Amino acid sequence: MSIWKFLFNLDERRNWYLRRMPMGPLREYYESTFPTPDTDWRQVEYLALDFETTGLDKDRDEILSIGYAPIRGQSLRLSEADHFLSRPVRAIPESSAVIHGIMDDTASGARPLEEVLPRLLKSLESKVLVAHHAAVEYEFLSNACRRIYGYPFIAPVVDTLALEVRIFRSMDKPIRSGDLRLDKARVRYNLPRYPAHNALIDAIAAGELFLAQCTYRKRRKRALRLRDITVIT
Amino acid sequence: MDIELLEIRDFLAANHPFDQLPEAALAELPTMLQVRYFRRDTMISEINSLESYLYLIRTGAVEMFSAENEILARLGEGDVFGYRASHRPNQVEHHCTALEDTLIYQLPAQDVDKLCEKHTQFAYFFSSVVGDRLRDAISQATQVTSSQVNLITTPISELIKREPITISPSATIHETARKMSEERVSSILVCAQGQLAGIVTDRDLRNRVVAEALDVNLPVTEIMTFNPSSLKEDTFAFQAQLHMARHNIHHLPITRGDGIAGMVTATDLTKHQTTSVVYMVSDIYKQNNIERMQEVANQIPDLLVNMAVAEASADSVGHLITSITDAITSRLLQLAEERLGPPPVSYVWVAAGSQARNEQTAKSDQDNCMILDDAYNPGVHADYFRELAKFVCDGLNACGYVYCPGEMMAITDKWRQPLAVWKGYFAKWIDQPEPMSLMLTSVFFDMRRVYGSRKLFREIAEYALEKTRGNRIFLAFMAGNALSHQPPIGFFRNFVLIKGGEHNQTFDVKHNVIVPIVDLARVYSLAAGSKAVNTLDRLDVVAEGGEVTSEGAHDLKDALEFICYLRIQHQARLIKAGEPADNFMSPDHLSHFERNHLKDAFSVVRTMQNTLGQRYKM
Repeated sequence: MSIWKFLFNLDERRNWYLRRMPMGPLREYYESTFPTPDTDWRQVEYLALDFETTGLDKDRDEILSIGYAPIRGQSLRLSEADHFLSRPVRAIPESSAVIHGIMDDTASGARPLEEVLPRLLKSLESKVLVAHHAAVEYEFLSNACRRIYGYPFIAPVVDTLALEVRIFRSMDKPIRSGDLRLDKARVRYNLPRYPAHNALIDAIAAGELFLAQCTYRKRRKRALRLRDITVIT
Repeated sequence: MDIELLEIRDFLAANHPFDQLPEAALAELPTMLQVRYFRRDTMISEINSLESYLYLIRTGAVEMFSAENEILARLGEGDVFGYRASHRPNQVEHHCTALEDTLIYQLPAQDVDKLCEKHTQFAYFFSSVVGDRLRDAISQATQVTSSQVNLITTPISELIKREPITISPSATIHETARKMSEERVSSILVCAQGQLAGIVTDRDLRNRVVAEALDVNLPVTEIMTFNPSSLKEDTFAFQAQLHMARHNIHHLPITRGDGIAGMVTATDLTKHQTTSVVYMVSDIYKQNNIERMQEVANQIPDLLVNMAVAEASADSVGHLITSITDAITSRLLQLAEERLGPPPVSYVWVAAGSQARNEQTAKSDQDNCMILDDAYNPGVHADYFRELAKFVCDGLNACGYVYCPGEMMAITDKWRQPLAVWKGYFAKWIDQPEPMSLMLTSVFFDMRRVYGSRKLFREIAEYALEKTRGNRIFLAFMAGNALSHQPPIGFFRNFVLIKGGEHNQTFDVKHNVIVPIVDLARVYSLAAGSKAVNTLDRLDVVAEGGEVTSEGAHDLKDALEFICYLRIQHQARLIKAGEPADNFMSPDHLSHFERNHLKDAFSVVRTMQNTLGQRYKM
């Protein structure tokens, strides 16, 4: 998989998959205009996203709740924020329930993932995915798409954790244990303390952190471009 | 809204003006917000776009500057700006910079408009007329519950319940008593041709008729009290109450023009109030030594606490507390005269400063002076008046009205002089204004007779007014003096922000806010040639006379009332905690609501100071 990313850029991969992909929500998503890497970061639309899951194993665990808020014009829009649950196939392990507080009773009232996923894909159209430790969201989402639609999910991705690592490195600061946690990172930018482990609040928290990080990137001769901040393009 | 945004909702609910919104509106509000982040030292918004959002600072700090780069405000967590929140005087053109890394919630102007349409309390915050907001703040802060408060503004005529019961002077005692029992009254007025001739009360029938076994067929004129004390119908009920306490009478005829409007009894008044001011005053008049008067004066802090709890308006508190000072002063003078004998020449005891203006709160310093008749002969009379002044000033000091640090007291020889000398003082102060004399004029232009000759007082007051009216040079000096104390700019977190951007822990509510308002009112009222002394009265006169716009005068009145109200609450809190009352307020003790309205009050004062400055070309 990863070798593909080096050999082909996002657009090439997108076109490759599109050749055979059947009609449906994922195809509609693929057909939207993807932001180009050379765009000024301020001209791009983002979707700050967070999932709560039954665990961290992308192959076994399932998505329980989805929270997101778009960022446009350096402004996080709560009016377009959304949050919903999805019903897991298996019972929720206690080890994860104590973290996100979603119980089987609550989850059983939710609709299955295949019914809510189109809503998320619609919101992701033409946007860059933003998440803290984005691999989790990206891979859970990609696995879900593969299972439901037969094809992976692809998107330009900004990982606020990776951005934080770059900032530490550029300042030659050693990274200590816990420094990269979302709440710890937020404190460095004077962002408020939010309660953790709710998908929407965590998405908003990551979105705010992203705005802060971008304003803190060193001023360069050229304006900051999308390619300078994404991990996957 | 999903429950997830509760955290943001709670933050909104904790801050003004969002705290004014009902639950349902608050619940929806987070979903209307946009979140923005500003790095330290970056510009928040261009001048023109500041009005398109209402900004609420979630974390960080923002500074607001005028077009001339003078600091207008420093804002911290929970403060709002932009939209019409910045439609405040002096703040029309400005730009904003993040002072720290700042996260801001912004609400688009059209959403604020919609909220304002639906929620009046919320809309008040954005009212472009600062005064409206202040008025609203006062009515929210002070719910006038105490009936004592009402007596202050109620004319005595409103307490008259029926037509006066009268009887002719030719009636017999028997006829009089019969009419009184038929009419079920405890007193009757004796009238000849509609004119009040005397009064007969139940007590007179007992003491002068039954106890003396007097013939009931004698004319009523044998037992009536001739020319009883009476008051005009437009006298305020509270003054009537004090009058009765002072003269120890229980029945008070009320006159209307030349005739009789009716009768008010002590019972009529006590039905309307139970607070202790009137009892304290009548108590004071019963005391024959300073120790006992001291005991009464010691109750003043408790009285202030009670009035603060009752949310009495600052104006009524000022009048009530000052009336006790007046009573103590008068009683001390009576005692002094009893001790030293009647005065050899007439004199008037004059209160100056806050006592003159009826604006005292917890105990204050004493400011007073004596004006003696020009027949005063220092060689013969000096000792008498020195002793008299010493007795009164010492007495006041013992009662907690400590000696004036500036020695502006009758005990100081300079301030115990015949009328001609006083006229000379005023002439010098007014014709050759200099800093020291301005300080003195700001004390002695607030004068009120407390005891003694009305004629002497009238003469000096009219003389001073005559000399100042239209005297632009002197008024310009007074105006300059009125601008010497300036209110703070606002608050920043738990600090007070002062001009130049510096911080203080507290602000002096007396010198930084109240004194400037009092000074402004004095200048304008002198310019208008008004005799008014109380600041609110002065501002009324000034508004009518067109010296300032009536909105301006109104706003100042509201600013004064609000700030004095807060001061009373502050002093009451100190007294309750067993600490001495002072004028230093800390933002720690102010709610968001109070801080916001204080900022309004500050800006009203600054605006009016600027207007005065321009008028006298400062």
